[in-house]
Amino acid sequence: MNPIGDMYTGASNGLREIWANKVRSILSMSGIILGVAALVSMVGIVQGMLGNMRASFEQSGGILKLEVHPTEAPESQKHIAGISPGMTWGDIVAIQAAIPLAVYTTPIVDMRYERFVANGRRKGGMLKGVTPEFISIGSTELEYGRFIADMDIALKSPVMVIGTYLRDELFPELDSAVGQQIRLRGQVYTIVGQLAEIQAMPGSRRNRYNWENRMNYISATTAMSRYKGDDEVDEIYVMADSVEDLPDLIEQIENTLTRTHRGINDFEIRTQEERLQEMKKLENSFTFSLGGIAGISLLVGGIGIMNVMLASVSERIREIGVRKAIGARSHDIFVQFLAEAVVISLLGGLVGLFASVGLLSLARDLIPEGESISLVPVAAMFYGFMFSSAIGLLSGIYPAMRAARLDPIEALRYE
Amino acid sequence: MMTESDTIFKLSGIRRTYTVGSEQVHALNGVDLSIYDREFIAVVGTSGSGKSTLMHVLGFMDSPTEGRMEFEGKDVTGINGAARAHLRASRIGFVFQSFNLLPRLSVLDNVLLPLTYGRNRVLNKRELGMAALERVGMAHRDSHTPNQLSGGERQRVAIARALINKPRLILADEPTGNLDTKNRGRIMELFASLLEEGITLALVTHDDEVAAYAGRRIRMQDGKVVEDTKS
Repeated sequence: MNPIGDMYTGASNGLREIWANKVRSILSMSGIILGVAALVSMVGIVQGMLGNMRASFEQSGGILKLEVHPTEAPESQKHIAGISPGMTWGDIVAIQAAIPLAVYTTPIVDMRYERFVANGRRKGGMLKGVTPEFISIGSTELEYGRFIADMDIALKSPVMVIGTYLRDELFPELDSAVGQQIRLRGQVYTIVGQLAEIQAMPGSRRNRYNWENRMNYISATTAMSRYKGDDEVDEIYVMADSVEDLPDLIEQIENTLTRTHRGINDFEIRTQEERLQEMKKLENSFTFSLGGIAGISLLVGGIGIMNVMLASVSERIREIGVRKAIGARSHDIFVQFLAEAVVISLLGGLVGLFASVGLLSLARDLIPEGESISLVPVAAMFYGFMFSSAIGLLSGIYPAMRAARLDPIEALRYE
Repeated sequence: MMTESDTIFKLSGIRRTYTVGSEQVHALNGVDLSIYDREFIAVVGTSGSGKSTLMHVLGFMDSPTEGRMEFEGKDVTGINGAARAHLRASRIGFVFQSFNLLPRLSVLDNVLLPLTYGRNRVLNKRELGMAALERVGMAHRDSHTPNQLSGGERQRVAIARALINKPRLILADEPTGNLDTKNRGRIMELFASLLEEGITLALVTHDDEVAAYAGRRIRMQDGKVVEDTKS
């Protein structure tokens, strides 16, 4: 006999036994089925969510983007903090004038959540005042019309660039809403551009939950003059050309803003490095905790298989005696029972893989932004399957050893 | 006179001692015995006389505690489990009182089972199995399961299983113990016809009528051979 022949015979005998004890086999498989399904779908969901986070990270400019946020002045400067004008339009002008490394710069005048009215419909969405360079930071793309232009900044024009969410909700019959009128706080704006729909993954279906599609933009100057009162801005985004430029760029922004803020250190420059690290941390903690849960359920599945195999051995003591009497070596009996355990767990693993596809497609429908969840996370499936076969092998060893060690004479006498 | 090459088994001073609790049980207590080609041996004796243990030792299912054992001219006294399994698979056929067919396998698959454990790869398994079933007159039942058969039929299938590896020696432990008179006669005639084909037979029995088929009768008592007669 050769090992492959051994395994083949073992597997076909195993299948026969499994078929003969259908209910018991299905029960013993259920642990492995649940374990594999849990492992694969959890990893799939987490990967999808993390993929979403990464896509949104790249979308908003990735590692090359710097964000300047206002902060409280430090304790030592509290008493003179009032001399700083805060973050203003002047900062943008200063950065653009003094720092060539700042390839693109835009203020963010954050209107946050606004209600938009058109066509007798009313919908909420996010609104920001920005400058033309905003479109060059990150991967936001225009589908129709134009983005906020220099003349809009100069003239404080009542124009708006909308995302697909507002198009879908307010102009459902239109593909392009360019040229339409839309009202914001009672004032009429003309839609001059419409952004391309943002998909977390290429080719995935339309996703109305993706918050990035709820973003809408007006001219920063319009936003400041109409709604903020003065030339105050909420944030500044600066885009560098390369990672090597970042340290110099940060230093230069700091110098420039320290000057425009009259020496008051009431701002901070955030790099996306931290966000990237946080994402990685989150990824690791998700992987470990979910992997742990799935691992435990697979372990429980393995214990179930061991239990069933032990029962199967004591049920078939006489058969083992007969097989030994007609020439089976202990090794043959060992392989026979081990193969049975492996076949049970492999079948369980396969069913688990199919179940995970179902769970993942359910998750796609139920979880917001679920569209980025892959239905077939190949790596997770591979590991899940390998892990389940290893569990089957391990849990089969002890029962198979018990079977192999039986004395043929005793076994034949067993009633 | 028998020559050396005709000798299948040569046992000298065989003892088999079990320890039951603190007591030593001598199941075989010094057996000297030779078995020759084409013999039909009936082993008789009361229960506990050691005849089953003798069969187990002859069938390489059990190893003697003491003594020397030769099989086909070779010393097989201390051989390991795998070597004994190989001899069981290739040289010995077993027939049991309670048939011991595997209930989930078809008649044909039961007969083919020993081939799984042979060292040589057999290509025409099915034909071999059908030929063995033909030999015992059970070919028409090949796809039945054992529990669809009568006792006599089951024992025929079990004999076909013992024949599949073309053994030199068939050992049978009370092969007719669970059968009625009619079937007992048929099975014994089957055994007698195997003898004519050159297979050596040793069977344990309580039944004098069964023992009467045998050419040699060995009586066991207290783990010893007390009578060894040829007719």
